[in-house]
Amino acid sequence: MSNNISINKSRRYLNPYLGGVLLGLVLLAANFVSGRGLGASGAIKSVVATTIGTVNKEAISSMPFMAEYAESHSGSPMKSWLVFQMLGVIVGGFLSGAVAGRLKLKVEHSPKITSRRRLIFALAGGVLFGFGSQLGRGCTSGSALSGMAVLSLGGFLTMMAIFGTAFALAYFFRKNWI
Amino acid sequence: MGPLAPNEIISENTNFLLAFFIGIAFGWVLESSGFSSSRKLAGIFYGYDTVVLKVFFTAALTAMLGLLFMSLFGWIDLDLVYINPTYLTSAIAGGVVMGVGFIMGGFCPGTSFCGAAIGKIDAMVFIGGLFIGVYGFAFTYGWWEKLYLARYLGEPKISDKLGISDGLFGLLMILAALGMFVVAEWAEKTFAREEY
Amino acid sequence: MKQLKLLALIIIPLGIIIAAMPADKVKQSRLTPDELLQEAGAGVQFISPDVVADMLVQKDPSLRLIDVRTPEEFENYSLPGAINVPLSNLLSDEYTDKLNQDAYMNVFYSNGSVYANQAWMITRQLGYENNFVMEGGLNYWFGNILSPVTPSQTSPDEEFARYDFRKSAAAALGGGGVISSDAASPVSKAVKPPVTAKAKKKPSGGC
Repeated sequence: MSNNISINKSRRYLNPYLGGVLLGLVLLAANFVSGRGLGASGAIKSVVATTIGTVNKEAISSMPFMAEYAESHSGSPMKSWLVFQMLGVIVGGFLSGAVAGRLKLKVEHSPKITSRRRLIFALAGGVLFGFGSQLGRGCTSGSALSGMAVLSLGGFLTMMAIFGTAFALAYFFRKNWI
Repeated sequence: MGPLAPNEIISENTNFLLAFFIGIAFGWVLESSGFSSSRKLAGIFYGYDTVVLKVFFTAALTAMLGLLFMSLFGWIDLDLVYINPTYLTSAIAGGVVMGVGFIMGGFCPGTSFCGAAIGKIDAMVFIGGLFIGVYGFAFTYGWWEKLYLARYLGEPKISDKLGISDGLFGLLMILAALGMFVVAEWAEKTFAREEY
Repeated sequence: MKQLKLLALIIIPLGIIIAAMPADKVKQSRLTPDELLQEAGAGVQFISPDVVADMLVQKDPSLRLIDVRTPEEFENYSLPGAINVPLSNLLSDEYTDKLNQDAYMNVFYSNGSVYANQAWMITRQLGYENNFVMEGGLNYWFGNILSPVTPSQTSPDEEFARYDFRKSAAAALGGGGVISSDAASPVSKAVKPPVTAKAKKKPSGGC
């Protein structure tokens, strides 16, 4: 019975090699059009910078990390390539999910744990990832993927560090997933 | 001659508009490949689902070859293409922290937006965490500043460091990736789990 | 597995092709007219004959003088150690290695500055680096280095220093008969002009 379901589900997803080629073409397009690769964490930084600036104008200048960022972006930090790209990602993800019938409000978690536990780990994971992405100057999309495509040494090292660490710790979190 | 925006063949606003469309394509492909599911993303670490490995490396290689061939045909000026800078200490330290975040949260920023777009609440919570983490870094920046700026090496390319040409490195990576894919296929059969 | 084989079948040949390509065919760095205009206007390619003279006196191994005049003029007189790359043959294959390299500091010279500057512009547009132009050419060289003009009593100190330097340089390089005074130290300590900074837009990006 469960076999049937899994066959059904995997048909609805693209073949991974095909998906990879398509993603590579999108990345290539980004480089050709804009001279830069894809990314994600930078958009979060823009939103945080804008929020701080709106809530308290002086706070920005007391945060050297954000202040440099605000300076390099004339106008608002929201007027950044990545912010526009991420808005597109939301639309694209939604459309793809809609077409495939995957739209559903739910917490995805292993049946062996509660959804509450999943959410706690999701939050903690997000905090760590957010922090790490600023320290590492990029996330898997911006640093690892786009970096690899242009042969950046930094991108490659970050990728190794991310996946290496996750592999090393996988055993300790196995209950959450399998 | 590309890239279009740095060569001012298109305006900044067109660039942003195209960024939006490129984003749509990005989001679509990610979601269609299953990256909106944290379970599939975490699968690489337990062997039952190697979609991350296959998509990631195929994409990196496709784009890498694409850029090299376009440069060969004179369609793009690689000097104007952004290469991520290398700050040795923070690249690795940041990667380690992200690795922990990945195995705990089962998402990365790009995929979490895809997940959130199709209604995954765990993805939305992950995004919330991202904001907190970014803010936390900015707030405590003073503690990390030295680490953040340490060991700046410029923008070296892997091929330069190894002393080989870009093309040769590309070929080596292709072979390495294909080898990994073979292992991945084996792993999926051996470690298969039920879908949920 | 089938798709993997298909992928391998396509991507391996592509990889082999790109690996086999010579590196500089894959990555060209020609300048756009705008960029060339900027660099030419800034004059970064010019290097003073005093600096060249000093490098010759010090026997600086990184200097390579390139005479862009005709072979006949080159035979008639050339600067010490210069090689001849006539402007009319500038783009011939036999000279590419000498012009597109990063081991030496090539300094083009001609009688004035015009032809040497033309040689620089053409090679710069092709993306070659480490090429410079000796400002004033041989005319300036003869008039001011080999037979330096004695400064008047009221001239500033640095003019005297420069005069002393030129006298001793001229003696070393076979110029007008002058008793080499104790040239304490040459005016400019062979300060190499900065390698032409790319006037291109710095790419931006990041996550």
